[in-house]
Amino acid sequence: MEQAQQAKTTAVKGTDTAREVRALVKNIYRSAHEAKANGQKVAYMMVASQYDEILRAMDVVPLPTENYAGLCAAKRDMDRFLLKAEADGYSQVLCSYARIGLGFDSLRKDLGHIPEGSPDGGMPVPDMMLGSSAVCDPRFKWYQAASRYLEVPTYGIDVVAPPPQDDLNAVRDYYIQYQRDQLKGLIGFLEAQTGKKMDPDRLWEAIRLGDKAWQLWYDIDRLRVAIPCPMPSQDHFSIMVAGHYYSGTQIAVDFYQKLYDEVKYKVDHKIGVIPDEKHRILYGGGLPPWHTLWIFNYFESFGAVFVIENVYRGYDPVEVPSHVKDPVDFLAWRAFLRFTRYHEKARARSGNPIVEKLLDMIADYKIDGVVFHACRSCRATTIGQTHMKSELGKYSDLPMMQLVSDMVDLRDYSEAQWKAQIGAFIEALEARGK
Amino acid sequence: MPFAGIDIGSTMTKVVITDEQEKILASHIGPTGAEHRHLALKVMDETIKKAGLSFDALDFIVATGYGRINVPFADKQITEITCHARGIRFLFPTARTIIDIGGQDSKGIKLDADGKVSNFVMNDKCAAGTGRFLEVISETLGIALTDMGALALSADGFVQISNMCTVFAEHEVTSRLAEGAGVAEIVAGLHEAIASRVVNMTRHLGIEKDVVVTGGGAKNQGLVKAIEGKVGFAVFTPPEPFITGALGAALVGKDFYDRGIRPAKERKKEEVTFFS
Repeated sequence: MEQAQQAKTTAVKGTDTAREVRALVKNIYRSAHEAKANGQKVAYMMVASQYDEILRAMDVVPLPTENYAGLCAAKRDMDRFLLKAEADGYSQVLCSYARIGLGFDSLRKDLGHIPEGSPDGGMPVPDMMLGSSAVCDPRFKWYQAASRYLEVPTYGIDVVAPPPQDDLNAVRDYYIQYQRDQLKGLIGFLEAQTGKKMDPDRLWEAIRLGDKAWQLWYDIDRLRVAIPCPMPSQDHFSIMVAGHYYSGTQIAVDFYQKLYDEVKYKVDHKIGVIPDEKHRILYGGGLPPWHTLWIFNYFESFGAVFVIENVYRGYDPVEVPSHVKDPVDFLAWRAFLRFTRYHEKARARSGNPIVEKLLDMIADYKIDGVVFHACRSCRATTIGQTHMKSELGKYSDLPMMQLVSDMVDLRDYSEAQWKAQIGAFIEALEARGK
Repeated sequence: MPFAGIDIGSTMTKVVITDEQEKILASHIGPTGAEHRHLALKVMDETIKKAGLSFDALDFIVATGYGRINVPFADKQITEITCHARGIRFLFPTARTIIDIGGQDSKGIKLDADGKVSNFVMNDKCAAGTGRFLEVISETLGIALTDMGALALSADGFVQISNMCTVFAEHEVTSRLAEGAGVAEIVAGLHEAIASRVVNMTRHLGIEKDVVVTGGGAKNQGLVKAIEGKVGFAVFTPPEPFITGALGAALVGKDFYDRGIRPAKERKKEEVTFFS
């Protein structure tokens, strides 16, 4: 029995549309290979870098290296890449996404071809690497380190957000100007690499599609306030592929429209993820355990459904002022508004925008308990988690639990310990329900 | 109406039988471990015998601890966190924070005003901060585990043991000995290190009075004193810290019974097979 559970990594999805994501993932890597064969430019890229629509407008094919690491983990084919990176001298405390990416690049270079049997055909050698400072520091340095294995140009952009205590009116112009300069620098780089100028009309069109997809994604998440919950977090960790890796395309819009229709139908007909929803859980943060996503189904076996999550989310819709007429200005404004969405609330209460966001989710989604995932090698989503938990405890008396492992490195995971913790957490939820 | 709780931990199996007045009728402790797994049933039988009862007379049996899953004669399995909370709250009605130091793990448990578990934290896949840590080092030093606490209390200060990895700490202890450090001071340093680890872990929950230290670690007065030094005030320990989980399990069984819940299946009086 235990062996059978170990072999299975993925979760049973709650929606039919989420099951279609596997094809979207396969298509990412297939498209990159095809693009290379056709002489189209392919770029290593990262989520949340605010440049997605620019790549689409310039016909640069995105190759998301973080997603590839998650894919390797879901396929339980990560060890050879992790070990190769570690053999090359990268520490086990370095981001395991980066270690998989670097290990993959290193192996591919040593072998002279894509490692045999790599998930989804592996990643081709890109034409460029586009790092970003959004979210964490390894992302800014990762592609610079990858230059050790790849003789392709790297460009890193700074993605900035002011601290919550800043007076937004005082810093807004400066931050937007800086972000605009960063994006323009990237565009200049891409123009040099592709040999063509960026077409503002095409960028506007990509932005329109990007915003439409993200609005639909937001609307889907708002439907999830329904009781019983129509779509669980394990679906979110699949359906995010459209928003993060197909942003600025009609594919993402069509996908989310279809998902919206399905989720709306479930809400209208009171069809929940499980027949008897007893506990509504918030995934409070930390990257998901890609190696063991079935754990969400394990919670469900106790009547606990993860109804909303605070990672890899779409940004809440923001309204860029109508006087902004330039698409790059629009992207800079949008980034600023997205990143400062909870700043005013934070200044008024906890001082922490994420705590405010979680408190909103707890209220809106009628949450019974919160689960965090501390990932040993992800400083960005793990450091501060304990503090956040304790801050949250000041405004909410919900049971909370922190599971510890890593997003992809299985060596940091203990199934027995997780099950013991989950058992106690469920009992705490049940005791409150008495 | 008797209720039994069986707590199968990593090193010891504990059984407590209570009556409907929540009075302890009997308790018994025996070893666990791979080679002793068949003894779990024997510990149960011994306790039943001590209580002057028969197996069939038990109205509800709750199993807890790491070995709780495959206890064929249990009516329900409940985690040790819930059981410790119930047992400790029974013994200390004002308890709000529990530090449980067991053989292979340690836990911090936060109780709300009603005695329900509001939050908890466990050590992470590592022997540091557990009884096993002290056990390994006591073997290195050639000192009985039961003497470690008293030796720590007799120390004149302590030697800083910075490594919390059990394997590396063992090396560090050997190095300190070679440097001429006193055994008592080294042992005190080990107790400081464990106390620091478990108290820091429990601080994630917010330590609130009253604090009760339980599990095998609570039998070690050197460790309890080191914990008091870290939290800055006196903590409580149960008269028999080994059995609080089993006691809680018996009481949880009574709670089920009081709520009208009855054993759902026929009990099988068979050996426990949790390691197979």
